[in-house]
Amino acid sequence: MAQPKIPVNLIMSKLAEDAEKAGTRAQKATDVLLGELDTQISATPHEIVYQEDRIKLKYYRPPGRVRIKTPLLLVYALINRETMLDLQPARSVVQNFMNEGIDFYMIDWGYPTRKDKFLTIDDHVNGYMDNVIDFIRAKHNLEKINLMGICMGGTFSVIYSALHPEKVKNLVTTVTPTNFDTDQGLLQIWMKALDVDRMIDAHGNMPGDLLNFGFLLLNPAQLMINKYVGFLENMDNHKFVENFIRMEKWIFDSPDVPGETFRQFTKDCYQKNLLIQSKLMVGGRRVDLKKITMPLLNYYGKYDHLVPPEACELLTGKVGSRDTTDICLDTGHIGIYVSSKCQKEFAPKIAQWLKERDGEMKKTKRKKPSSGKPAGTKTKTAAAKAKTKTTSVKKKQ
Amino acid sequence: MNEQQTETIGSATLMSTWMKTATAFWEQTLRQWPGTPDMSGAWPSGTPSKKGATGRPQETLASVLKTWQSLSELMSEPSMIESQVNGIGALPEIILKMAKSGAERYLHLQHEWVRRVGKIGERTKAYEFENLDQELFKAWSEIYDQEFRQLLNMPQLGLTRFYQERMHRATDEFSRFQTTMAEFMHVLFLPMEKSFNIIQEKLLQMAEEGTLPENPKDYYQMWIKILEGHYMTLFKSSEYIQVLQRTINRHSDFLAAKQALMEDFCQMLPVPTHKEMDELYKELYHLKKKIKVLEKKMESVQNGKIP
Repeated sequence: MAQPKIPVNLIMSKLAEDAEKAGTRAQKATDVLLGELDTQISATPHEIVYQEDRIKLKYYRPPGRVRIKTPLLLVYALINRETMLDLQPARSVVQNFMNEGIDFYMIDWGYPTRKDKFLTIDDHVNGYMDNVIDFIRAKHNLEKINLMGICMGGTFSVIYSALHPEKVKNLVTTVTPTNFDTDQGLLQIWMKALDVDRMIDAHGNMPGDLLNFGFLLLNPAQLMINKYVGFLENMDNHKFVENFIRMEKWIFDSPDVPGETFRQFTKDCYQKNLLIQSKLMVGGRRVDLKKITMPLLNYYGKYDHLVPPEACELLTGKVGSRDTTDICLDTGHIGIYVSSKCQKEFAPKIAQWLKERDGEMKKTKRKKPSSGKPAGTKTKTAAAKAKTKTTSVKKKQ
Repeated sequence: MNEQQTETIGSATLMSTWMKTATAFWEQTLRQWPGTPDMSGAWPSGTPSKKGATGRPQETLASVLKTWQSLSELMSEPSMIESQVNGIGALPEIILKMAKSGAERYLHLQHEWVRRVGKIGERTKAYEFENLDQELFKAWSEIYDQEFRQLLNMPQLGLTRFYQERMHRATDEFSRFQTTMAEFMHVLFLPMEKSFNIIQEKLLQMAEEGTLPENPKDYYQMWIKILEGHYMTLFKSSEYIQVLQRTINRHSDFLAAKQALMEDFCQMLPVPTHKEMDELYKELYHLKKKIKVLEKKMESVQNGKIP
């Protein structure tokens, strides 16, 4: 048998080279880490125009003229914070929306304390969200506004649109779980086994740190090892360090989730999958998805490990709207909002979609939009590896 | 006279002598204390015989010694001595029985440990987590449940029984949570172990084929991919889900037990308990909700929407 050929000398010389590089890098990294770093997140100027309990409403005024008549309300999840949409200047959904001329508002859910443990989904949707929407409607003297939800905020937006369709002009859902009966995502599998009553009775609210720990466990090799190896390899890069710290700030800034909301969300959505079946009860009313008759744009990520495509894609087939669009991007849960590839098309696409549906005069223009295609086109050119699953507006007969 | 009788008489004499000596000693000691009645209750001359004129400790001491004297006289009776000696004779037997029982339990524990530990070597295959290597934790859990937990769950008596129960419950839940947590951490480490084994095999194969990477980073990339794959397989396994579920449940149980115990301490301090605050918060929550509904109704009335 031939002796195995191991290029020991090459490996060793490469190791020595790497060690030398690491030494130089560590020296530079000291300067970077001890020097001045701009790691501020959510830096885009905004006004707080409404406040109720712990909830704040942020208002972002576009720098130029407003190009979309109807204002947009962004509803983020109760897990983590809406600052993710404005992480860094060059990669900010907030700034991209402003540049598109969208007059928009964003709910900051704040940090629930023990006194918020009794708040239910009804309090969030029919209480806070409804009050905020009424405030915007009154301020702009409008019957309806545009609504966009992110993740759990998307689920809330779907529930709201079904219960108050008269107040929503267009609905945009992004990485929004509506079908929870899937084994594509680990979260869906784990949540089914969770004794949520026991947990909430003991904790009061669902601790954000515990949730974060759960999210890290979804992929420990990447999130607990490889990520930090990447940091070590780039810690001499000033910009990289700044952006890395920004992301760390956001990811571990996890408010607790009000206990009763978490209990209902786990039981009724994750364990019983009531929403997609139009059987969910909120505030004593049934959430009938057929009541969602406004145009619906549904974005999701092909590699989303938290909300897999199967959890999102059924929605458009279940609503009563005749104008629905599904867009599946080749990215993950957060990538839709922070990856530079997606940044190029995510906000412009939404702006375009809204422009086409904004105002009665454009109602007749609801033909196969070119806006539905750019994502698909880009896939072919491999610019953003984005793919539009349902590129055209579905006209239901 | 047989040996047994000799031993009994010897013990009886010894016992009787000891009791007499002890009585004489305490009587002499008592006499040294002025103003103390003797064992018969008679007061020394020159001291007031009236009860209460001396100190209460002396009276109590005299009473105790009097009881002792009566007892020692009774114990010096030959029939009593025989009975005592019989009892003393039975003592080694009782101790032996207790020791035997303890040793049996100990051997049982040891046997269980050895049996379980023997299984630790039975490892699962790569990318398979059906029969996790958790024998050690199962053994400890069973031993804890059978041997120690029962002690903590023993019914408590008396005025402080509820406090003791809460203390024991917190201790019990903490132990159970720690055991499950250790098991959970062990399970989380399994993919690491397996990925190292796989990478070794892979490297050996590559070395034989002469395809070993020259860049050390490539080795890391290879390992991290294997590790990720193992974690994904583990996380989907029902065994992992069971361990995860158990850990979360035990954590919740421990928190609840700790909270109950903390509330006892909070009640001693001028600090409101969670229970008290929760009651307040609940009332506040309902009141706010009512006010918000009323506000909306009033607004509608003012706007003329509701007649």
